[in-house]
Amino acid sequence: MNNLAILPIILPLLASVIVAFIPSKLNIVRKLSQALMVIFLIIVGYIAWLVYHNGVIVTQGGGWDAPFGISIVADYLSILLVLTTYIIATAAVFYAPHSLSDQQEKFYFYTFYFLLISGVSGAFLTGDLFNLFVFFEVLLMASYGLIVLGNGKAQLRESLKYVLVNLFSSMLFVTTIAFIYSLVGTVNMAHIAERVEAIPAEQQGIITGIGVLLFFVFAVKAAIFPLYYWLPNSYVVPNPVISALFGALLTKIGIYSIFRVYTLIFVHDTAFTHQQLFIWLAIFTMLFGVIGALSTNNVKLIVTYNIIPAIGFILMGIGLYSEDGLAGSVYYLMHDMVVKAALFFLIGALVVAAGTKDLSKMSGVIQRFPLLGWLFFLGTIVLAGVPPFSGFIGKLLLLRGALSQEYFLLTIVALLSSLLILLSMIRIFIRGFWGEKMEGMTNDNRKVHALTIPAVFLLAISIFLGVGAEYVLPYVDTISTYLLDRTEYISAVLKG
Amino acid sequence: MVYAVFAPLIFAIIIPFLSRIKHKVHTGWLILPVPLLIFIYFLQFVGSDFETARQTIDWIPSLNIALDFYLDGLSLLFALLISGIGTLVVLYSIYYLNKEEQLGHFYTYLYIFMSSMLGVVLSDNVFVLYTFWEFTSLSSFLLIGYWHYREKSRYGALKSMLITVLGGFSLLGGVILLTIETGTTSIRGMIEQADLIVNSDYFLFILIFLLLGAFTKSAQFPFHIWLPDAMEAPTPVSAYLHSATMVKAGIYLMARFSPIFSEVPLFFIILSIFGLVTLAWASYMAVRQTDLKGSLAFSTISQLGMIMAMLGFGTSYAVFAAVFHILNHATFKGSLFMVAGIVDHETGSRDIRKLGGLMTFMPISATLAIFGTFSMAGVPLPFLNGFYSKEMFFESALDLGGYSGAFIESLITAIPIIAVVGSIFTFVYSMYLFFGTFRGEYKESELPKKPHEAPFMMLVPPMLLVIGVMVIGLFPNMFNQALITHSADAVYGDEVAKDIKFWHGWDSPAFQMSLIVVAAGILLYLTKNKWHHIYRVIPGRFNFNRVYDWMVEKIESVSNRITTAYMTGSLRLYMILILTAIITITAGAILISDGFNFEVQDLAPITAPEVIVASIMAIAAIGTTVARNRIAAILILGVVGYGLAILFVMYSAPDLALTQLIIETVTVVLFLLCFYHLPNLTTNNNSIVHKGTNVLVSIGYGVLMLVIGVTAYNSRFADTISNFFMENTYELGGGHNAVNVILVDFRGIDTLFEVAVLFGAALGIFAMIKLRQDKGAK
Repeated sequence: MNNLAILPIILPLLASVIVAFIPSKLNIVRKLSQALMVIFLIIVGYIAWLVYHNGVIVTQGGGWDAPFGISIVADYLSILLVLTTYIIATAAVFYAPHSLSDQQEKFYFYTFYFLLISGVSGAFLTGDLFNLFVFFEVLLMASYGLIVLGNGKAQLRESLKYVLVNLFSSMLFVTTIAFIYSLVGTVNMAHIAERVEAIPAEQQGIITGIGVLLFFVFAVKAAIFPLYYWLPNSYVVPNPVISALFGALLTKIGIYSIFRVYTLIFVHDTAFTHQQLFIWLAIFTMLFGVIGALSTNNVKLIVTYNIIPAIGFILMGIGLYSEDGLAGSVYYLMHDMVVKAALFFLIGALVVAAGTKDLSKMSGVIQRFPLLGWLFFLGTIVLAGVPPFSGFIGKLLLLRGALSQEYFLLTIVALLSSLLILLSMIRIFIRGFWGEKMEGMTNDNRKVHALTIPAVFLLAISIFLGVGAEYVLPYVDTISTYLLDRTEYISAVLKG
Repeated sequence: MVYAVFAPLIFAIIIPFLSRIKHKVHTGWLILPVPLLIFIYFLQFVGSDFETARQTIDWIPSLNIALDFYLDGLSLLFALLISGIGTLVVLYSIYYLNKEEQLGHFYTYLYIFMSSMLGVVLSDNVFVLYTFWEFTSLSSFLLIGYWHYREKSRYGALKSMLITVLGGFSLLGGVILLTIETGTTSIRGMIEQADLIVNSDYFLFILIFLLLGAFTKSAQFPFHIWLPDAMEAPTPVSAYLHSATMVKAGIYLMARFSPIFSEVPLFFIILSIFGLVTLAWASYMAVRQTDLKGSLAFSTISQLGMIMAMLGFGTSYAVFAAVFHILNHATFKGSLFMVAGIVDHETGSRDIRKLGGLMTFMPISATLAIFGTFSMAGVPLPFLNGFYSKEMFFESALDLGGYSGAFIESLITAIPIIAVVGSIFTFVYSMYLFFGTFRGEYKESELPKKPHEAPFMMLVPPMLLVIGVMVIGLFPNMFNQALITHSADAVYGDEVAKDIKFWHGWDSPAFQMSLIVVAAGILLYLTKNKWHHIYRVIPGRFNFNRVYDWMVEKIESVSNRITTAYMTGSLRLYMILILTAIITITAGAILISDGFNFEVQDLAPITAPEVIVASIMAIAAIGTTVARNRIAAILILGVVGYGLAILFVMYSAPDLALTQLIIETVTVVLFLLCFYHLPNLTTNNNSIVHKGTNVLVSIGYGVLMLVIGVTAYNSRFADTISNFFMENTYELGGGHNAVNVILVDFRGIDTLFEVAVLFGAALGIFAMIKLRQDKGAK
């Protein structure tokens, strides 16, 4: 069949190994990584183009047809998210040299970076539940490597918690896979879906139970209420470029997995799982997330906490399980990946510019760094979902879905959390950027400038996703119809 | 029309470049023609033969969002106000702001606002309207925070943003509901389906969402609190956004949707109550102010309340009066703000207690002010447009009918009284403003600057507005035919033809009300010293600003308290919370869907050796939790691992047992090596409750897993795919050992990436150790 689907996984793995051989020749490694990423981005763009024009691409690993081998499935949803991942990663690889110390770069930053991309792409693309577990391990291992990079005391302390919580969820994951295998005798997702559908309705209770268990596996990674405790501090301690990669990619893998299994496999009892459980969890996730974002003066922590309500928004659309809801979720997911990465980049630049993370000690940064200030302002209103930027389109679809299914409480909470998201971020703008010029700002204007540029690229995409929504929306609509009708996926994998 | 809307925006983008040459020419001059041309463009539509115009450009057809600009009478009135006053404000600002200020920023924000506001009043598409709506809030935020090094500017900016954006999001909710209900995104399309909306199940939600949007934007009680603080903006901004245009966006919204709502009693009740309370409360508050701009801000609020109330009345006469007053208010209030700005600029103070006797120094400004304030007060003189609209307000307040019900009837009786009370205070503060500033005793020592008249060009914009006041006053019907009637038609949805008369006769009740207002107002003003202490006492502590401050302050401290309560950094607490959630929700889910199938008869019989091994493992597992020494703990843990290996042997899986043995041995050895470097285990002196919770959570999790495991074992719904592997290992895979062939061939990708995991792990550990050594070396 077509082997293209596996390229986004294999290419960065190769790159990861290559750069591991020359860790200390920094100039070469940097240029090489940047060049490779740009090339990969073009390749992935091409694959995405192919998928949208010719339909789903399935690579059956080793030539063994599903369900016996491992299927790598580049469908509309997965390839879109892989493409988004590559866009962010490309921005990150240009940001990294200015943000990391030479020493951090030498200790295999680029190796872990490529490994992370490989794992993330794999998790998006795989059509096999056990293989998903393997890619989770890959990206987690890469993230362990990244989070301890620099070896600060706080870093080690927080990464220990991060590792332990993730280890626990991995264990639960394997256990759940075993349960599923015991029930339906297969681990290929399309095959599971087919077999679950065949189970008589009165016996489906256990499937619901195991589905919920699997949901929790992913919910821990996606940072859904009440399982996100590990996230804020462990995302704050590493370097901004690493936080950006984590914030933009890792939690999104969790929510993507929920997306996948809860539109493909566990759709037999949506009245309970989706429309009760998910909706309520989405409400609490949004609320507690913004409450967290308002609770601190640490600028980086504010952005980190803002990851959580975004996950709530995405979960909300899955819970609605309607065309609007799913399209809104996909749009919001894409938007949030891009804008979160941009905001982490900008916060990194802000911390360098102001020389502190503490908002109460900052003021007047915009007078020295106007570009940084205005980009941050732009990022803030994009994040809050103000039209005509990317956040608005997703939010509009989600709210339309919620209101047409008469979820008034949900709508009000979503609107209120948008307002509070705006408040939490605009505080940084008002207190940090506005005001009298502070003492102790950096003199290294060029560094701040270099740290600002990659965000320009990402924010430009955000604006395009909003103003140019018409170029993207039809694809997203395709995705939501495609997700609601599972047959295309199943037949592409099993009979392809 | 599209160009007219977007021209200011395009200029906003190039202004930062234009302002680079600011040292030669004031940026304002360069861009002054933009609003002027827009004004002239819209002016050509004016006339008694007015026809609506429309222009559409596709934007996001998938969501039915199009740039659909529709010009009817109401839009035209607003567009003229926005561009006309915009021109005057830009001209005024050239003298108000000197070249050293960051003019580029100022004009960029101002022109973004101009575009957005034109967009609001011209868009027929609700989502485009909403987009522009949010941009007016944002540009207002930036303009209020223009002098952002001032604490109060930042405070005012945040306040206005929070309140107006809250309203914006609410508006979004409302318009989404409207589109769901009517299936169209066009306002005119919605008006055609008014019956459907009014009878909809969601009608109440729609109404509340839209009202919240309008009330926050147009500073209606109790959301008015942001407007006085918005006075921190430069005065041209106050004159433009915060009196003439932006704050009327809420009014515009209500006027725009009133063909849908006007028949609904609830709409009448809410709008007239809120409008009148705003009118009365704010006019009373305006009397208390000592800051010129503060007083004008409350005055604006109260006038907005009056317009809102008239829209609520909904009779053709009231609607006509409302539209007429939108125009009148813009003229006199705009000129007053400009005069206040001039006073501030030329004397260095806006405090009415320090001002006085400026008439001799600033005769022209004083003349302008007298027209502005007297028009605002509604003094019955034929050349003051404010008098006409006040008179019409009274008339429409007296002429309410068409609704029934006890509550509404008592409301209808109360309305004229509240209207009069509000107007009396309006009269009083108008007199204060004029006489306090320009008459009385001149206090030289109090003023930072020696006062003198403003440069002539700075006086031109307010002068033009005052001329407007007089022309409308003298020839009301000229405007009536060409402009006002068309606007009122658009709001009322039907022909509204009215002549505006100056003289209604002595016996006209409205005129009598006017006389009462004037008489009581003069009385209150002359005895003002006696009332001072009352003004000081009421409302005293009762103040919505406090509510806002309290909320903004609390939201941070409460968030902090909530978050630190569970984000303790204790991994144990996190795990307890996570596990509790998993146990309760999963068990709940299975119970609800009746999924348990806990039957043991199908299970293999349990033999004695198994029991023994399992018990040893269990005891060892519990042992690790109570061990007081790391080495002991790890050795005991090893027992669990080896026990597992024995179980594998029993179930005839020797290869797994072997693997397990190796892993276990290596792990224990590694742990022992590491522990050599670690400090001793601290004994935790936890309370019984703490330990109890741990035990409970552990048992709960164990039981859950057991039950699901057994149920899963009992419910095999399909054959496993493993038979395929067993059958084809040799033929297709070319190997005898099925496990090996699966690992390296059938599921080779898994193995490849597991190798990658090891690769990552090895590098990670290497990096950690090496980095530490390097650090130690330094």
